[in-house]
Amino acid sequence: MDNTYTTFKIHPSIGIARLGNTDDDFYLTPEQPGTLPIACDEMGREQKDSKGNPIRVSSFKDSNDLSKIKKQAARFRIFSYENGDTKGEEIKVGGSYNFVYETAVTAPRIVKGKVTDIDWTVHLANKKASWYEFQENNGQQGYAPDHPLRNPEVTQPDLRRQLIIDPGPLTVNLKNNRGFFAKFGSESKKTDASKYKKVSYPQTFPPSDIQPNAIETLGSLLVNEQEKNIRLIVLGGNGNSGSTKTTVIESFVNNDGWFDDISDGPVTANIEYTFMDTVYDGDKEKKVKTTGTMDVQVPAWVVVGYPRYVPEMEDMITMDEKMYDLFVRKMAYDPQVFGVPPFTKETNSPKTPEEFDIWRNEAHYNPDYYPKFYKELWPQLRRPDDFKYTFVFDFFGGGDPHNRGTGGNLDYKTLSIPPKNGKDPYYRLRQFVYGIMRKTDQLNAYEVEGNYNLTSNKPRLMPLLCGDNPLTNTAPQKFLSMTETQLFFLKQWANGKFVNECDEWGESNSSCTNPWANPPTTGIGIDRGVLSNVLGGAFCPGGELSWIVDNPAIYSEPYRIKHATYIAGGLSIPQPIANKDGSTAPNIAAGMEPGDLTKYIGIPWQADFHECTFQNINTTYEKWNNIYPESIGDPVEQQIAYNIPWWPAHRPIVVPESLNGSQVYWASGIPNNNAGDLQMVEAWKDLGFLISEGEGITRQFYQVERNNEALGDPVQPGNRVLGQSFGESNKENNSN
Amino acid sequence: MSGKKRKISQYESVKEILNSLQGKTVPSYQGLHAFWLDPEVFITASLYGQRLIAPKANNTSSETKGCCGSRDDSHINIPASQPTKKSEGCCGSQQKSSDTASQQPAVSSVQQPPIHTSIGDCWPSGGQGGGGGTHPPVYKRSDQSAIIKGLKGLYPFDGSIFPKLLWDATAKASADQIQIIANWIDADCPLTLEEENSKKEVHITPSNNHLALANGELLHPVSSNTTNQDHRDNKGLTIRKEVSSLSPKELGTFREALNCMFQYTDYWQDERSFDYWARIHTDSCQHGWEQFTTWHRLYLYFFEQKLKDYDQDIALPYWSWSDYADQNKNTFNNKEYDLGVLPEAYGCFLTQKGLDQLKNQKTSEGKSILTKKEIAALEKIVKKGIIYNSGLRFLKAAGIPYEIINVNNVAVWSDKIRAIYNTLKEINPLWFPNRWPGSMGPLSHYPTKDDIDVLLSLDNFGDFGGGPSYDHHYGSLEKVHNGMHNFSGGTNPNYPYKGNTKWQKIYADLGLTIDPQNQENPIYGWMTDNRITAFDPLFWAHHSNVDRLWARWQELHNGTPQEMNAVLAPWSMTVQDTMSIQKLGYTYMRDSVFYDVSSKVGLVKFNSAPATISTNTLDTHRKAEIKIHRVQRGNLPNAHIRVFLNSPDATIDTPTNGNDHFVEEISTFHGSCYGGPGHCNLPLDKTRNFDYRQLHHHEPRNYKINATDAVQRILNNGAKNITVQLVIAGIDGKPIDNAIYIDGVSLNFMD
Repeated sequence: MDNTYTTFKIHPSIGIARLGNTDDDFYLTPEQPGTLPIACDEMGREQKDSKGNPIRVSSFKDSNDLSKIKKQAARFRIFSYENGDTKGEEIKVGGSYNFVYETAVTAPRIVKGKVTDIDWTVHLANKKASWYEFQENNGQQGYAPDHPLRNPEVTQPDLRRQLIIDPGPLTVNLKNNRGFFAKFGSESKKTDASKYKKVSYPQTFPPSDIQPNAIETLGSLLVNEQEKNIRLIVLGGNGNSGSTKTTVIESFVNNDGWFDDISDGPVTANIEYTFMDTVYDGDKEKKVKTTGTMDVQVPAWVVVGYPRYVPEMEDMITMDEKMYDLFVRKMAYDPQVFGVPPFTKETNSPKTPEEFDIWRNEAHYNPDYYPKFYKELWPQLRRPDDFKYTFVFDFFGGGDPHNRGTGGNLDYKTLSIPPKNGKDPYYRLRQFVYGIMRKTDQLNAYEVEGNYNLTSNKPRLMPLLCGDNPLTNTAPQKFLSMTETQLFFLKQWANGKFVNECDEWGESNSSCTNPWANPPTTGIGIDRGVLSNVLGGAFCPGGELSWIVDNPAIYSEPYRIKHATYIAGGLSIPQPIANKDGSTAPNIAAGMEPGDLTKYIGIPWQADFHECTFQNINTTYEKWNNIYPESIGDPVEQQIAYNIPWWPAHRPIVVPESLNGSQVYWASGIPNNNAGDLQMVEAWKDLGFLISEGEGITRQFYQVERNNEALGDPVQPGNRVLGQSFGESNKENNSN
Repeated sequence: MSGKKRKISQYESVKEILNSLQGKTVPSYQGLHAFWLDPEVFITASLYGQRLIAPKANNTSSETKGCCGSRDDSHINIPASQPTKKSEGCCGSQQKSSDTASQQPAVSSVQQPPIHTSIGDCWPSGGQGGGGGTHPPVYKRSDQSAIIKGLKGLYPFDGSIFPKLLWDATAKASADQIQIIANWIDADCPLTLEEENSKKEVHITPSNNHLALANGELLHPVSSNTTNQDHRDNKGLTIRKEVSSLSPKELGTFREALNCMFQYTDYWQDERSFDYWARIHTDSCQHGWEQFTTWHRLYLYFFEQKLKDYDQDIALPYWSWSDYADQNKNTFNNKEYDLGVLPEAYGCFLTQKGLDQLKNQKTSEGKSILTKKEIAALEKIVKKGIIYNSGLRFLKAAGIPYEIINVNNVAVWSDKIRAIYNTLKEINPLWFPNRWPGSMGPLSHYPTKDDIDVLLSLDNFGDFGGGPSYDHHYGSLEKVHNGMHNFSGGTNPNYPYKGNTKWQKIYADLGLTIDPQNQENPIYGWMTDNRITAFDPLFWAHHSNVDRLWARWQELHNGTPQEMNAVLAPWSMTVQDTMSIQKLGYTYMRDSVFYDVSSKVGLVKFNSAPATISTNTLDTHRKAEIKIHRVQRGNLPNAHIRVFLNSPDATIDTPTNGNDHFVEEISTFHGSCYGGPGHCNLPLDKTRNFDYRQLHHHEPRNYKINATDAVQRILNNGAKNITVQLVIAGIDGKPIDNAIYIDGVSLNFMD
C-alpha cells in the first residue's frame, strides 16, 4: 500500500450563500463567473440536463409570490489529493483512501479505508453590531483606541458579546442531515435533526422584539448524497433586519441598535471510514471491521451575502481577481507572473515567514510573462459595456465609450491581435486603452495627464467607478483602479506581449474565448469560480466582503481563510472592551472566527446596498474629499465629478424594464434618502432580477420578477414622479 | 555498390518530426505558422519572446578554454591590502612573495610538498550543480532553444505561461524525436547533408584531396594530434608512452594538469588535489608481497582516470629505467651524491618568463633577491635551455649558494631559495626539489636491459611479483623497483651527515638540530621514503614502468597472484580485476605514429610520410607493429591488403617474395550482408551506459601486423626513417577501389 496518506480539502475554499426569504425553496451558487445559479432539488442535489450539465435557474422568486426571494445555497464538497496531484477528485461513499488511523492507545498508522459518511461542521455568526464603526479606510491598518464602536453605549464585555449573533456550531451528516442555526425554542430549531442537537450552547441572539423583523436564525445546513458524493448545503438567513430602537436609518453603514442576519464562519469536516483491521486473539489472527474518523486537513469558509440581482453580469473587479492579485504579489501564487527570476515554481517557494520576507523584497513582475487574451485581458475590457444595462452612462445621450462592436474602442477583433511577424497594426489602439486605465498611483485622479487637446475634455481615467474612499479626508481613494496584476497584464498587452489563445491552442477548442465555458472540475477551479461572482471592490465597505480580504494575514494559503481556535460563547470583541475583563480580543494572526469576515459590512446591509448607486466626487484636490474654501474666502473653483457609479453589476441603477423594454430606475418606488434606506429593509425582496439574452455584443440584460404591487410601476429616467428615486447616493460626504 | 545508403539530412528529419507531430491543424504561432519549414524563420524567429533556436553562443561565455582548461575568470582571493607581487603562472596561480612562507611552521608529518601553493579553480567540471560550484553551466544551444524547452514542456512551456509545444497538436514528441532536433541544433543547424559532412570533415582533416590520398598519389601525413586523441577517435586503448616519446603538446597538457592539481593542495581531501592521491600511498600502499603489483596497478589507474577528467587524452608516461643505464653506470655506484640522470621531462629548467618573475622578486628590504651576477648566469641558462637533473645542480650552475635558515628551530629554505624553487616547480611541476638522484652510497647497482630481461624470464608469479600473505616475500620486480626509488630520491649533499663538516658547521651556526626527516632539507630524497614518495611526481612514471614490466611479464607467462579475490583497498576492486590492462583501458607503447585515413573513399593505396620516431626508439624498441584501424565490413567485396615498408612506389605488381620491404599480406573475409534497409550501415557509436551488448557485427575491425623483423631488416639496410605502404588487391589479384575503407594506420613500437 501507498505509504502516504490522502490529503483532503473542502471546496470551494470560500463558499457563498445568499439571503432569501422563501421557506424552503433555494438554488445553488454558480461556480463559474457570470453564470446563472444551479437548479437543485429540496435536498440541494444539483439538477442536470441530459448531457450532464447543470440546469440553470432563471426564476429567482417564489413562483406564486414576487415578494419572496429564493435563497442561494453554498454547496461544499471534499476532494482527495494523492501524491502531489494538484487537480484532486471528489470523494465518494465507498471510495477508498489512505487514512491516518489513530486511537487512544495506538500510534497513528496509515490504513486503506472506505468512506461511510462525513460529519460536516459549520459555525455561522454575525459580529457586525459588536464591531467598530466602519469609517472607510480608517481601521484598515488597525483601529485607534478612540475609534468609535457601533453601539458605543454597550461597554460591558458580556453585554458586548450579546451584540454578536452566535447560534453555535452545527454538525450534520448523512444520518443527521438537517440542522438550523436557530435560537433554541424557535420553530425551526424544533425540526433540527443535526448530530448534537441536544447539546446546549451559550447562544446569543438579538432581542426578539427588534423591529421591523426579528432574527431567530442565521440559516441552516443540509447534507445530501448525489452520485455517491456526500455534499454539504449551507443556507443563509432570511434577510431580516431589525432595530432595538425606533426604526430609523441614519447612516449608510453604521446604525446603532440594528441587527441583520448576514453571517460567515468556518466549514470543517470529519470523514468516517471503515477498514479491516487485523487483531490477535492469542496467536490467532482475526480480521475485524473497524471504524475510524479523520479530519479533512484543509477546511473552508462560508460567507452569506445579499442576493445577486444580476447573476450574469460580472463586477468590474471580481473577488477572485482581487484575491488572485494579493496571492500573486504576496504569497508566490503564480511565480511566472510575479516572482524572483527565473520565475519558476521551484525557485519561488517561500515557506517560513523569513523566506516570505525575502521573497516579497525581491519579487517583481516577470517582464516576459505573456498574458492570455481571453483569460486575463478580455474580461477587463468587455465588462464595462455590459454596464449600459444597469446604468445610463451619458444622460445627455450619444457616445458609447465602451463599444465592443466593430470600430468601437473595445472591439475584440482588433484588441485580440498580437504582433505577428513584426507587424503590429493595433499597437496604438492598445496603447490608448492602456493609457486611459487608472494606475494604482492615480486613485485620486479623474482624468489622464498629458497633452491632450485643451479645448476638449481630457479622457477620463478608467474604470470610472468609485474607489474605497471618496467620502472622507482620511486616506482618500476617490476612484477604483484595476488590480496591480490586472494592470500588469494590460501593460504587457499594450506592449504586444500577449497571446491570443484561440489563435494558438484554441483551434480544437471552440470555447477558447471563454476559459469558463464549462463547469470547473478541479478544486481550485471551483474555489475561483465561486469567488468570481463576489464583488472585488470598491470596498466602502463593499458588497459581501470588505477590505479585510486585502490583508494576507487572514489566509492560511492562497484562497483559504485561516481558522482561529475559539471557545464556545467566547467570540472576540473589540480590544478596548475585551481588555476590561481580559476576554478574547481580535487576533488576525491567530486566524478568523465566525463572523470575522462580514463584520465590517454596513449594518443593516440594506442601507449601504441602497445607497451604492453613484456618487458625486470632489476632485478639486487629490488628497482631499471634503474641502471648505468658503470658510476662508478661498475663491477656488471646486471640481466635481458627477454621477460616478459604485458597482453597476452588483447594485443596478437603471435597467431595461423588459427585453427590449424602456429603461427604468431599478429601485423605483424607494426614495433616495434615509427613509428609502429604511424602506429597503423590507423592499429588497420586491426588487427585480436581471437576466440576459443573446451572445457577444448583442447580449442584452433585462429585468424580471419585479414586485410592482409592492413598489409601484417603475419610473423612467427623466420622468420624475414624486417620491421616486433618481438613484443618486446620499452617502455622507461633502455637503456641497 | 549496395553500401550506398539512403540518408536524409538532419534538418529533413527535424521537419518530418515536426510535421507529423503537428498534424493537419497548424495554429498561428504568432503568425509564423509552420515555422520549421522555413529555416530562416526557424533559426532566427521568436515565438512570444522565446527564441525558437537560441543564437549561437558567443565565444566569451562558452567554449573558450583558457590555460589549464579554466573557464572561470574569478581569481584567487588575495587580500587587497597585502602588498604582494603576483607571479603570473599558468592557471592563474599566484604566488605570494615568499617572505610570509618561511614563517609557516614546518610540520613533521606529511602535509604537502615543500612548495607554496595557492588556490584557484582550474579543474574542469560538469558545470555548477544545485549546491553551487563556481563554473557557469555548460552552454548547450539546444537547451536554450524554445523549440526544445517547449517540446519537453519545460518552463515557460510548462503550462505556467505557455502550454507544451506543439500547440493544438494531438501527438506528443517522444524523447528520441526531441533528441534528434536537439542534435541538429547543437550541430549548428546544418540544412543539407553536404553541410553536415563538411562540418564533420573540416573537423577531421583540412585536406580534401581524398582521391589522391586514396590512390597513393599523395602521402598521408603524420597526424598532428596527440597519440591518445587519435587512438581514442578510433576507439582504441589509452596509450601510456615512454616519457621521452611525449610530444611537447602531450607533455604540456600533463604538466598543466599537475599544476592545476597542486592548486588544491590545501584541500587534500579533494580528489582534484595532488595531495589527495599522494596521501593514498602514505596510508595504504602495499609492499613486500604479491599485492605490490596489483595494488599499484589500480593506484595508477585511478590517478590516471582523475587526470583524464582534466583532459581525456592524458595518459601516465613510463620511465624506462634501463634506457638510462649507460648514463648511470657510474652515478649510482659512486661515493659522490646527486650525479644521477633522470628523464629530461622531470628535470628543472628556467624560462624567460620564469626569470623575469624572479627578477621582480624583492626581499623584505626591497632589494632584488638575485645579484647581477646570478641574473647573468641565469640568463645564460635560459638561453641555452639546459635541463638539470636536480635543483641543487641548477643552483650550482647559476652560482647561487643553497641556503637554509632557522625558523622556530626547524631548517627551512631561505626566502631566495624558496622563490627560485617555486618558480622552477611552476615551470615544470614534474620536477621536485627534494630529489638528488644518484648514489645512496657505494656498491649499488643500476638495472640494465639485461637485468630486465632476466627479470622477465622468471617463470612464476611468486618469483616475479611476490608471495601471498601466508608466504609473503618480495618479488624480483619489486626488489629492482626498490633500488630505483632510492636511486631517484638519492642523498642530499647538503645534509649534515657524518663527515659533512661543512653542513655540520652550518647547522651548528644556525643552532639547528639535526633532523633526518626535516621537510625541506632531509637526509634523503622523498622518493626513498615510502611514506612520502608519491608526493614526488616521478613516482608515477616510475610505477608506470613497474606496471609495464608486469604487463609484459603477463604476456610471456601465465602465473597470477594466489589470492585473486582479495579486495585492493581503498578501492572496491579485486586482484582479479587487475589482471588485464586492456580491460582497464590502456596499453604500453614506446611510441606510436598515427596516419589519419578517410573512410569516405575506397582505398587503393596507402602511402605514408616518414614516421617521426626518435633514433633511440628505432634503436632500442623490442617490437614494431602496424595497426590498420577500423576496416569496414558491411557488404564489401573481399580483398588483399599488402603491407610494405619504405616502398613508396609499391604497386599491385611489386613482388612480395624475397622483398625485404614486404611485411605481410592480409585478406579480408566479409561475404555479403543481407537485411532490411539500412541493415548494412555502420552501427551507431556506443555511447549509452549499460549497453553490454557484444561487438556489433558491422563494427569496423582492426588488423595488427607484426613488423618487427621487417623494420629491423630495413634499418639494417641503412634506412634512417620508416614509411608504410598498403597496396589493395582484389581477390582476383586485380586493383579494386571499393573494398577497403579504413580510418587510420598506425606504426607502433613496444619496449
